[in-house]
Amino acid sequence: MVKTTTKDQKNTKQQSKLHLIDTDIHERAQYKDLLPYLDQPYRRYITDCHWLQEKHMPYTQPAVAGVDRADARVPDGRPAGSDLSFMKEQLLDPVGHEVGILTGALDPSPSSMHGWYEMATALASAYNDWQIENWLDKDERLYGSVHIAAQDPQAAVREIERVGSHPKMVQVLLPIDDKLWGDPFYHPIFEAAERHDLMIGMHHNEPPIHYGQWPRYFIEWHTLIPTAHMMQVTNMVFNGVFEKFPKLKLMMIEGGFTYVPFLMRKMDQQYKDLRHEVPWIKRMPSDIIREHVCFTTQPLEEMTKKEFLQIIEQMGSDEMVSFSTDYPHWDYDSPYESLPPNLGEDLTRKLFSENARNFYPKLQRIGREK
Amino acid sequence: MQQVVQEVIVCKKTDLNPGEMMESTFGKHSIVVARASDGEYYAFLNRCIHQGAALSKGKICGAPEPTDNLGEYDFKREGDILRCPWHGREFDIKNEGCMLANSKFKLKNFKVKVEDENVIVYK
Repeated sequence: MVKTTTKDQKNTKQQSKLHLIDTDIHERAQYKDLLPYLDQPYRRYITDCHWLQEKHMPYTQPAVAGVDRADARVPDGRPAGSDLSFMKEQLLDPVGHEVGILTGALDPSPSSMHGWYEMATALASAYNDWQIENWLDKDERLYGSVHIAAQDPQAAVREIERVGSHPKMVQVLLPIDDKLWGDPFYHPIFEAAERHDLMIGMHHNEPPIHYGQWPRYFIEWHTLIPTAHMMQVTNMVFNGVFEKFPKLKLMMIEGGFTYVPFLMRKMDQQYKDLRHEVPWIKRMPSDIIREHVCFTTQPLEEMTKKEFLQIIEQMGSDEMVSFSTDYPHWDYDSPYESLPPNLGEDLTRKLFSENARNFYPKLQRIGREK
Repeated sequence: MQQVVQEVIVCKKTDLNPGEMMESTFGKHSIVVARASDGEYYAFLNRCIHQGAALSKGKICGAPEPTDNLGEYDFKREGDILRCPWHGREFDIKNEGCMLANSKFKLKNFKVKVEDENVIVYK
């Protein structure tokens, strides 16, 4: 007789399918992939003029394979995230994804495009078409994000109108960059998002955590990503975005969530004292956050079950956090290993699928159809 | 009654150069066999203690020594440090797989001996 150990049980569990809604997966385009989707003259700026997006981290990447998992490079040598078949084999099939939300790896944002908004707009359009044709239309589990050149709101609205009604586009991805998103300058973008049942996703960007610049070390930058998220949430709430656009919700991606109890408490405290400055805010900021903002889990700190549940309790809701892997990046969180064990069936279901389904209107529709 | 695996030839000595590693199996376990810079062989469960990544997909490398001087990088022990393919955690293959950042944690390791041309993992 073979004795079954705890480890064996864990290994068995590992093979079980999770029916996960993964709120952060990075598909990757190389510029040559976008060429067929780019009009002239933008295509020739890449093919003939050696144009490259001026964007780089000023660090030697400290992980084993740069910003990627070392085992996620496509076997034929292409970069991680650039091949749907390999993504299926390594992630979607074994985990049993019900839905994977693509968050891209393109960043036509002011920090990388300077003033050339036209090129940023062209790249965003090309990226959206490439994403739809090569990912969303090829795997029923994959849903997408509308990329825009946010620094030109009129062009951004045109792009949302162009692709936002695609049934598998669930959010507009806004760069966290050098302008906070509560600014009324951006209201046309929110109006367009609302028209198409799109939510807003904000994924961490570089480098705004450090006065718009880079700290000396990667470890500082990576530690402080939540500070950029705190700035955006604070700014969106106090600038009344969710009062003006009541259907709009915000998914904060790849900043974790353990900072949220602090932020809610601090904003409530400030509101009690300083409400007169923002009289368009008519309820406690923490209530607005609970109703309008959701946070992805990754990168998770290692926590005990008790610690994890304490944070959820302090948020006052277990419906504000959605699991994300960040595949194929180096700080990937395994859906089997990163959460504390035995969180309970109800909470686990909420984290793994229900909260994300309730957040994205287009996923609710799919859920009902099924 | 299933027989408990006591001893397994996991590779030939010549399969690994110093500073290299390979995946193998010991009974039901996937293991990683690593050869340190001094030519010694070591074996660990092929599973990171953090989130379970297959360590054999990582890298054998060195590491900067702890220092008292800000800005000083003294990179040593090339071939003796195993880094996880995901989060890059460093484990000392010559010191029972202890994590460099916190030596309270270590990889699960196996006994290894060399007989003739064979590298053998045993209980």
